[in-house]
Amino acid sequence: MAATVLAALGACGGADPGAGGGGEDIAARGTIGFSAMTLKNPFFKIIADNLTAEAERHGFDVVVTDAERDVNRQSQQVDNFLASGVAAIVLNPVDRIAIGPAVRRANEAGVPVFTSDLQAVAEGVEIAGHVGTDNYQGGLLAGEAMIEALGEAGGEVLVLHFKQANSCVLRVDGFRHAIGEYNRDRTEGRIEIVAELEGGGLRDEGYRAMADGIQAYPDLAGVFAINDPSALGARTALEQAGRADQVRIVGFDGELAGKQAIRDGKIYADPIQYPDRMGVMTVRNIVSYLDGEDFERVHLIPTALYRQADAEQDPSLD
Amino acid sequence: MPERVGESAAGRWRRRLLDLLGRNLSVVVLVLLCLISSAATWREQNPITSRSGAAVARQVLEACQAPCSVLVVARDTEADRVFVQAIEHGLDVGGARIAGRVFGQPRDVRLELERIAGAGASVDAIATHRIGSEWGPVRTAGTPVFAPGSYRWPTFLTARNLLNVVNQNADIAIIALGMTLVILTAGIDLSVGSLLALAGVIAAVTAQEWFGGGAASPAGLLAAMLLGVAAAALGGLLSGTMVTAFRVPPFVATLGLMMLARGLALILAVGHQRRLVGGGAEGTPEAVRVEAAVFAWLGNGAVLGVPNPILLMLVLFVAAHLLMTRTMFGRYVYAVGGNVEAARLSGVPVTAVLLAVYCLCGAFAGLAGIVDASRFEGGRPNAGELYELQVIAAVVVGGASLAGGRGRIAGTLIGAMIIAVIQNGLNIAGVASYEQKVVFGALILAAVLLDRLQPRLGEFRRKPL
Repeated sequence: MAATVLAALGACGGADPGAGGGGEDIAARGTIGFSAMTLKNPFFKIIADNLTAEAERHGFDVVVTDAERDVNRQSQQVDNFLASGVAAIVLNPVDRIAIGPAVRRANEAGVPVFTSDLQAVAEGVEIAGHVGTDNYQGGLLAGEAMIEALGEAGGEVLVLHFKQANSCVLRVDGFRHAIGEYNRDRTEGRIEIVAELEGGGLRDEGYRAMADGIQAYPDLAGVFAINDPSALGARTALEQAGRADQVRIVGFDGELAGKQAIRDGKIYADPIQYPDRMGVMTVRNIVSYLDGEDFERVHLIPTALYRQADAEQDPSLD
Repeated sequence: MPERVGESAAGRWRRRLLDLLGRNLSVVVLVLLCLISSAATWREQNPITSRSGAAVARQVLEACQAPCSVLVVARDTEADRVFVQAIEHGLDVGGARIAGRVFGQPRDVRLELERIAGAGASVDAIATHRIGSEWGPVRTAGTPVFAPGSYRWPTFLTARNLLNVVNQNADIAIIALGMTLVILTAGIDLSVGSLLALAGVIAAVTAQEWFGGGAASPAGLLAAMLLGVAAAALGGLLSGTMVTAFRVPPFVATLGLMMLARGLALILAVGHQRRLVGGGAEGTPEAVRVEAAVFAWLGNGAVLGVPNPILLMLVLFVAAHLLMTRTMFGRYVYAVGGNVEAARLSGVPVTAVLLAVYCLCGAFAGLAGIVDASRFEGGRPNAGELYELQVIAAVVVGGASLAGGRGRIAGTLIGAMIIAVIQNGLNIAGVASYEQKVVFGALILAAVLLDRLQPRLGEFRRKPL
């Protein structure tokens, strides 16, 4: 089929470039394809929802897909985006290395790839922009919260990890650093990190890991869970074991259920992330890219510590 | 098909058509799904080719009086270069002047426009494609923009998408071959997803640690891949032994192997990562990267425009089809699945057949694992999770009976493609992910239900109308 309809577009600046030929399902600025890490976790759903709302405000269509933590699925979604001719692709890379070939295919097709929350580090890939949390700083804050929660007594602390995600590795690195600084020159009231268990970043896996952790470490005084779902799973395990008042929990994320648990005193504190800002800023980066403007290529949003006092003032919890 | 006395020509054709439909219901379902996917993805297409480039050049020349100075805007891709070449050729012949040329990003357009303005020159027209016409600097340049017109065509039915559909599901289809054999013997294999991961990780770790890493020779990489497949085949043999020698139900035997192989894959991958960082911290369960670039050829390369995984899948399908229809072994497999005791009494070596079937199933899963590792340039210990369910769905949708004895290799290929088309169609049509699960489940049930109607259609046909 030949290109039959020739259209001279937007003769003057500011004219609507929506093409001739009745493209009613094509938005003025094209489509953005977003492949989320997993839409089962509210965190990524918030990114998706805010990204969609902001993009539609700027005249884009958005297609949201769920990689379900599987890089194979995510790569397929990238290929599908390329086949359907999107203007830009946004990813929460499921595997920061294995996503490389798919990103390279997008690079070859001339479609810009943006990452949010998690970064891609594969060799030879070009990422147009990244917006994420400063996870190391968040880990430091989590360490401070734990020090605060345990007070002068110190004690044994367990980490509920999710090593597959590099963001979580950075959080635990920051946490360990803060605890290490605290322990330096201290003989009494030290905080001992006794184990890292795999909590999967999920409520059920976190629950099972914590239930085992209680058996293995009866003197536990604190738990650092790398996100809210696993923190809430740990809380359930502690309640069942009748140890909830002896073990303080520090979570991460500040999603709604986590904030409610902080208000109710079930979690001591969270370094909170801003997935809503991530979604919005990612779209602004895409707009800047397409408008040819300069923008910050890697933008890390610092976390803030959220305690019970903050929750009591939080209008979003009413 | 026997002719009936006194049947009218129209009646005969109707009967033939019904007969054909009844026997190839899964093909009919596949075609229907393709039609639905096409209708749901009927969209504007904006080809970037030398033809559309020539069209833009003509458009510019018609609208712009000579001497006309034109800025050509495109991205830095192969297709864009062909497109630009055609534009420039057309403009050249028509006597227009090329003021500038951008191969890159919107930012580069802005810089180029600033450069032209700085040099005191002007631009009378911008020639680009649809994507370029949406870039900010192009829209706000205050210059007429020319881009090729579009036409409507189903995105599903583009060469790129169709190759995507098959390529993405080649690994599932390859495993489904082995699973068909197992299901024909009334067995089941839940370990295939884990064996896939184990094979990929073993190939990647040995390629990195034994066969020279970045400097590995093609022969060394081949050896690493074969080691991976051999490990998966060995896993299959273990299942087969449990099923035959110890009478363990296949479901339980392969469930055990599923966990065992997944754990081994994780241990190997984490151990490799730990050695990489010098043995300090415990490693992370990330992909084991293979540095040798040739390793990626099997998964990402193409011969004559057809991706290698598709070619491998087709070769294996033909081989499996011949094995099952033309050899003694094929007949033995059907015999064992139809009635074990009868097969044993008529001299079929039942134990050997079952061992071979499970071993082959493991080997096919291993091959898919090699494809996966090559595709992602490294072995992923988390690869293939829940693949067993997708594979079993493909085999069952393809018409095989879980009770054994009934099913065809060709049916499995169709079944795998049905599932592939459903997934791709839903993705491209923009169905949201939560809804996709509902639609996918319902469509699989519908496809299997239709298949179950097949024998009844046959009965209807046999009754005198």
